[in-house]
Amino acid sequence: MTRRFDPVGIGLTTFTLLAATLWAFPLYWAVITTLKPEHETIRPGVHFLPEDWTLGGYIHIIQNTNLGTWYVNSIVTAVAVTVLVVVMSAACGFAISQLRFPGRRLLYLMILASFMVPMQALIVTHFILMNDLGLVNTWTGIILPQLIAPISVIVYKQFFDSVPKELREAAIVDGANWFQLLFRVFLPMNWGITTALAIITFIAAWNNFLWPFLVTTSERTMTITVGITQVKDAFGVYYARQLSGAVLAALPVAAAYLIFQRRVTQAIMLTAGIKG
Amino acid sequence: MNRLLKKALAATALFALGAGMAHAKETVVWWDFLSGGDGVRMKALIQKFNEDHPDIQIDATTLEWGVPFYTKVQTSAAVGEGPDVMTYHLSRLPLGVSTNTLREITPEELASAGLKPEDYAPANFQAAQVDGKLYAVPFDIHSLVLYYNKDRLAEAGLIGADGKPAGLDTLEGFDAALKKLTDGPSDYGLSFQTAGDGGVWRVFYSLLGQQDGAFLGEGGVLPGDENLDKAKKALSAIANWSAQGWLPKATEYPASVALFTSGKAPLFLNGVWEVPTMVDLAAKNQLGFEWGAIQMPALLGHKATWADSHAFAIPNNVGKEISPEKLKAVLTVIAWMNQNSLAWASAGHIPAYVPVTQTGEFKAMEPNATYAPLAETAVFDPQSVIAGVASPVYEATGNYFVPAVNGEMDPAEAVESFRDDLNGQLP
Amino acid sequence: MKSRKSEARAAAVLIAPFVVAYLVLFIYPTVKMVELTFTDAPLIGEGAWVGVRNYVRMWSDRQFWNALWNTLYFVLLTVVPNTVIGLLIAMMVSRLKGWLQSVVLAAFFLPYILPVSVVTLIWQWVLDPQFGIAQYPLSFFVGERVPVFRTRAWIMPTVGFVTIWWTCGFNILLFLAGLRNISSEYYDAAALDGAGRWKQFRHITLPLIWPVAALVLTIQLILQLKIFDQLYLLTLGGATNTTMVLVQAIYRQAFVTNKGGYGATIALALFVLIVALSVLQYQFLRARDR
Repeated sequence: MTRRFDPVGIGLTTFTLLAATLWAFPLYWAVITTLKPEHETIRPGVHFLPEDWTLGGYIHIIQNTNLGTWYVNSIVTAVAVTVLVVVMSAACGFAISQLRFPGRRLLYLMILASFMVPMQALIVTHFILMNDLGLVNTWTGIILPQLIAPISVIVYKQFFDSVPKELREAAIVDGANWFQLLFRVFLPMNWGITTALAIITFIAAWNNFLWPFLVTTSERTMTITVGITQVKDAFGVYYARQLSGAVLAALPVAAAYLIFQRRVTQAIMLTAGIKG
Repeated sequence: MNRLLKKALAATALFALGAGMAHAKETVVWWDFLSGGDGVRMKALIQKFNEDHPDIQIDATTLEWGVPFYTKVQTSAAVGEGPDVMTYHLSRLPLGVSTNTLREITPEELASAGLKPEDYAPANFQAAQVDGKLYAVPFDIHSLVLYYNKDRLAEAGLIGADGKPAGLDTLEGFDAALKKLTDGPSDYGLSFQTAGDGGVWRVFYSLLGQQDGAFLGEGGVLPGDENLDKAKKALSAIANWSAQGWLPKATEYPASVALFTSGKAPLFLNGVWEVPTMVDLAAKNQLGFEWGAIQMPALLGHKATWADSHAFAIPNNVGKEISPEKLKAVLTVIAWMNQNSLAWASAGHIPAYVPVTQTGEFKAMEPNATYAPLAETAVFDPQSVIAGVASPVYEATGNYFVPAVNGEMDPAEAVESFRDDLNGQLP
Repeated sequence: MKSRKSEARAAAVLIAPFVVAYLVLFIYPTVKMVELTFTDAPLIGEGAWVGVRNYVRMWSDRQFWNALWNTLYFVLLTVVPNTVIGLLIAMMVSRLKGWLQSVVLAAFFLPYILPVSVVTLIWQWVLDPQFGIAQYPLSFFVGERVPVFRTRAWIMPTVGFVTIWWTCGFNILLFLAGLRNISSEYYDAAALDGAGRWKQFRHITLPLIWPVAALVLTIQLILQLKIFDQLYLLTLGGATNTTMVLVQAIYRQAFVTNKGGYGATIALALFVLIVALSVLQYQFLRARDR
């Protein structure tokens, strides 16, 4: 069937392209603002490109704020949350899927039940708990409450359920113990799931605002997403500087997405309950 | 391999030595909310202190003024993670003490720093106490002043024979001046922060004070019809300025400053703390007009101006009692700042430390000398746990007065809702 | 290895980390929260038992009802629009092919992976009353510059708009997956019958995409009830009556005014509200699976 001229179709495509451009425009505008000298940012009129290209905003905030410290705090806590969540969920999901032990059904029901628990409702008691443990203003304090991720357990359980029985039997005959079975057979078979979950857990941990905002009361312990909104003297009303901080804060997650686009998409489907 | 190990060991030893030496230095963690023109002056003061004191190092952080600052301070102190010393508004002292955020400063400690109660104005020192206990050391008194663009005012015939603004005393005169200025080459007659609680509260409270209105009394907030009417009159006057287009609506703090410095609004009601901004711009020839600052004119009766005080306080870091050495260092910082507050006066403020205000240098300082008489007509925020910066009063100002000024609420209705809301929060 | 006992022992080791974390970081804080609601404790420190006084207070607290109302208003502003816009964009994107589709999808999706503080900084700049580029179209339509985060009528709709811009990518992905699952045979058959675009949408796309739409709607509902971050960051320090939502009411009571017991009471109210809705959602999804 040959395609005939389709004005509505061309119109729709044009409209889609326009909408996409408009949608992404604030991102472009933010990035381009960081490359302008401060006085150009407040010049009247619309200037889509800087007259004088500069990295002044970036240089200023790198030299004058604790951005480096915030970055380290973000990386350490986000990586720790990712590793711990993935390992804990894989182990727990594996046990529920493959092993028989008393309380198995109950455990799974409880995990299912806590699926949509609002962490925001627990901020008060989490803060009290972290204070009791002396963990306010520490990496551990930022990490711990983010470890409750029932959804990853559920995802792992579902995927391990679908691993063919024969593989398991064969490994057992070869004399593998349960741990070897998990790490040598089940995890490698579902490597894609682990990557997808790890990326999305990392992005979520990096982007988390409310909890790190509450549990860090000192400038030195803030993560970058908190730091760029809390410490004012470094920025004042300098838009290029402020947005430079924002661009740097967004860089790792934007890079993670652009590199692992397919995995991120898959992870989102998984966590929404749609098998990818 | 062996050599490498030796090198590593030597490096470690050297590092440990360095750390040991650094340890003899007492680090004072300092939090403030000073980010305007006075923030620059404070940073210079801190730097000078650090240079003068090889044994003490101030490690300063500036946080967002208002609710964010005071929330952070309160929460941090409760978990023993607060700073060693911080700036604090005396208006908020009763509220801060009620949440157990502040550590008492005993008379002996004050004396050990070389400071005496007599060094401060009695009312000022009184405001630093709750139930007879001292919780803060006053640092300055700051107030609202009227900044003016002399060039524009002269064009409009609003400069008197003495070279100072004329014809602004009385609301009618002030309104007429605003109209004239707005009709002229300026975008607006007047500017101040109309988007937030602080700017609106300061102007409102000054106008209430000019009518001798009582804010808090036996009958609660704005007791009796008389005080309520005075409050309505004050708020209506402000709302009228914006309704007439003489005052820009919903203007954020930095924009309100920019409107004045760029010549778009020739009158500017703001705290003395923006004096250094003007001084610096004028020094760099970037202002483009001659500026001045006078005491807020009497618009609704006699002269009266809102005032507050910056002070230094030591947080009550729960479970982490401050060590004697650290306390000594903190008191040294507080005393030094007070004794060197002439530099702080250049940030527009009036030093709380009386010996400094008696120096010839201070008396000759401009524009402070022009508005210095305001100390006598200052009306401080009410002493109450619902008042002060980041208090229920400020919040209610944001909820009712700010919308009224921006034409989103009727001023009379706003004042009544304001009163009812706050009366519900009285202890 | 073969014995039941060793299997249970291995299971214990494997589930231990998660179970410990679950007990310490979820069960305990939840129980503690309930306990706190019966005391007048400050955020940190002991409080006295006050019975149900916090609940009585909440019932008559204007600010609590205000927060509940504002939260529901925000839900109204975002849930359905976010779903509809997500579906429309997904349909637009699904028409495209190859690299063009990837690029267009990335443009729509990229905001979703950004941290909330970055999103709010971008929009504060774009909508800045003096220098924001969006003020040009705004003043064209409204007649004057609008300080959107300081004008009461504008705050919630604008924050809702920013939220949709930020989170719509998630919905788009789910809808795209749903659209791909609709066999092209349906459309071919309809085209042979001479059905136009609208008819195809009405009689094929809509009924077949409806389960996904229902999923998106329920996810959105629960998500938007927890609104705090972007609203707090965009309006910080102003107009609390207009911007107070439930999570912010918890934060305010517990952290700003130091009333841990009362803050926990509002937290429990939010907890119950969301758990109740989640149960509904679960039932709903189960019904769909059948």
